[in-house]
Amino acid sequence: MRGPDVSWYLIVSAILFSIGAAGVLLRRSPLIVLLSLEIMLNSANLALISFARLHGNHDGQIFALAVMAVAASEVVVGLGLIVAIARKHLDLDVDRLRVLRG
Amino acid sequence: MTAGAWLCLLAPLCGALLITALGESISRRTAAWISTLSVFAAFAGALIAFVDMLGRGHEEREAVTTAWTWLAAGEFHAGLSLLVDPLSVTMMLIVSGVGGLIVLYSIGYMDGDPEERRYFAYMSLFVFSMLMLVEAGNFLLLLVGWGLVGLASYLLIGFWHERPSAVAAAKKAFVMNAFGDAAMALAFFVLIWQTGTLDFAAAFEGAGGLSQTFVDLVALGLLAGAVAKSAQIPLHTWLPDAMEGPTPVSALIHAATMVTAGVYLIVRAHPIFELAPSIADLAAGLGAITLLVAGVIALVQTDIKRVIAYSTMSQIGYMFLGAGLGAYGNGMFHLMTHAFFKALLFMAAGLVIHHLANEQDIRRMGGLRQAMPRTYIAFLIGSLALVGIPPLSGFFSKDSILASALASGGYGRLLFAAGLAGALLTGLYTFRLLFIVFLGEPSALVREHDHGSAHGEGPWTMTVPVAVLTVLAVVGGWVQVAGIWHPFGEWLDPIAVGREHLALVEPTVTQDYVTSVLAVGLGAVGIAVAWMIYGSRKWSVPRVPSVQRTLEHKLWFDELYDAVFYNPGERISGLLRRGVEEPLIGGSIEGVTLGAREAAGALGEAQTGYLRTYALAIAAAVAVLVVVFITVQ
Repeated sequence: MRGPDVSWYLIVSAILFSIGAAGVLLRRSPLIVLLSLEIMLNSANLALISFARLHGNHDGQIFALAVMAVAASEVVVGLGLIVAIARKHLDLDVDRLRVLRG
Repeated sequence: MTAGAWLCLLAPLCGALLITALGESISRRTAAWISTLSVFAAFAGALIAFVDMLGRGHEEREAVTTAWTWLAAGEFHAGLSLLVDPLSVTMMLIVSGVGGLIVLYSIGYMDGDPEERRYFAYMSLFVFSMLMLVEAGNFLLLLVGWGLVGLASYLLIGFWHERPSAVAAAKKAFVMNAFGDAAMALAFFVLIWQTGTLDFAAAFEGAGGLSQTFVDLVALGLLAGAVAKSAQIPLHTWLPDAMEGPTPVSALIHAATMVTAGVYLIVRAHPIFELAPSIADLAAGLGAITLLVAGVIALVQTDIKRVIAYSTMSQIGYMFLGAGLGAYGNGMFHLMTHAFFKALLFMAAGLVIHHLANEQDIRRMGGLRQAMPRTYIAFLIGSLALVGIPPLSGFFSKDSILASALASGGYGRLLFAAGLAGALLTGLYTFRLLFIVFLGEPSALVREHDHGSAHGEGPWTMTVPVAVLTVLAVVGGWVQVAGIWHPFGEWLDPIAVGREHLALVEPTVTQDYVTSVLAVGLGAVGIAVAWMIYGSRKWSVPRVPSVQRTLEHKLWFDELYDAVFYNPGERISGLLRRGVEEPLIGGSIEGVTLGAREAAGALGEAQTGYLRTYALAIAAAVAVLVVVFITVQ
């Protein structure tokens, strides 16, 4: 097997995941939150593909493809929501969108 | 023979189901004809069975036909079986014959009622139930029919359900009948427990080996059922109120058929009553008391149907008297003639009520003879038959009961005296009604409804049954003339399964004639007194305010039952509501809802609406899971 060891890929994946999680938790613009979510998903894809390579089969790759499809759909819905909010001239700020509080 | 019996039983049921299933897809008139034809088909079935039976010898007239085993529990079996014997065929003929005429009459009477289809479905259901009762081959099926007629009676008394009084009357009838049903069911439990069977023949045979206490218990339970269904004292208060139902219902259920079921039961179960002579005497005594009390109360009633209802109670009292003393043939004979003339009286009264646009108060009637001459004649014949004037039907049957009472010794003499007093009362109240309603000057109400004779006294569907019953009320008694010929008595002999002789008492010819003279004489005296007071009005109506008030309150029976049963019951339930229901049951339920609401409020606090809180919660949960997985491994 050539190239760096699989643990390197996993470390990169963990770093990406942490960056994404931090973005989701800390940023207030919904656009950035969505972006951060994408980063988390792609970090998971990276981990899946590296495990697929480690085990020498294609299960992980197929799973990664499915994750991409889900991510694309999710972006469509998320962006749609953001556009709808913008059209209503509401603030694009996740802390202000809290009508669902109990 | 059995095929006729099955046809007789099932035709009305098919009629009821057909009307129900077709619903609004048929006209009201079609529903009425389906019902009428189904009951006449039942009559045809009864006739087939009757003719077939006539062609057989005495020994072969009894047949049990079982469709299938309906119920089996261990040793106990009860089949869906019919018993066809002279007694049940007699009842089948009366129920389906008189029933058919009354359903035909209903077509005219109920014309234009918005819920006619429901009415006719109920009528067919009633006829089916009543036939089930009289054809039942064991006590269990008899109880089924017994309960079903109670249900049909409830439905039909409360037919005009928008009237609160009708609904109350229906409930009253149902509750009092349920009391009798329960007592009967207890008697059957004792029978099952002690003899292991409810088949008539086997149960009667088994009852012979029981101790006196058990036989008395069984007979008492049966008597309680009979008393409730036949409106005898002390369970009689529902019958006058039941007059809230349509008049044909009163004629069919509360005069001709259902209320006489108690008499049928005593006759059918007579081996048990013979083993328990004290209970049989009690039945005869209750009959005597009822015939007097009902006769006295009928004197002051002002509702045309209620007067006839009290008269029905009184006449059933005679039947109980006869059946209790062992004169079964005579009791059944009076049952038959009574079905004719009492249905006739009710239907003639129905013609009057129909003519006067549903007015039932006799104080507003009078002088109807000019407007309704034929109804007057029908009513007169019915009244004469009721009083027992020869040669009309009531004469033969009532006098035969009284003669049997005279012939049965000391206790019987007492009942005989009561019966004679009842004959006097019968003449008085019957002709009071007749004179007030038909004679004298036409009242304001009558003149107002005098639309000439443009459409006669009623549509043909109403007048034809009245005419037929008028003829029957005249000739119905001729099948048995005391001392001369007894085809009716011989026909019923043997009266029920496993008996050899017809009646326990057989009056001598002298007793027969003495009775006839006395009873007819007293009846005529009653009529004469009624004529002097209400007809020619030479005597003023005697007024004793306290007596009158007592009678108008029907001897305070309703008030007594209210005070003894209803009010304490209501008080206890009020106490239970305040002491148990509200604090314990209501309180605990309230506590549960309050707790759930508070918990939900507290949980709601956790939902801040901040996206970051949720995300953090998810992340923290994942972190905890990771830690858990790692430590477990």
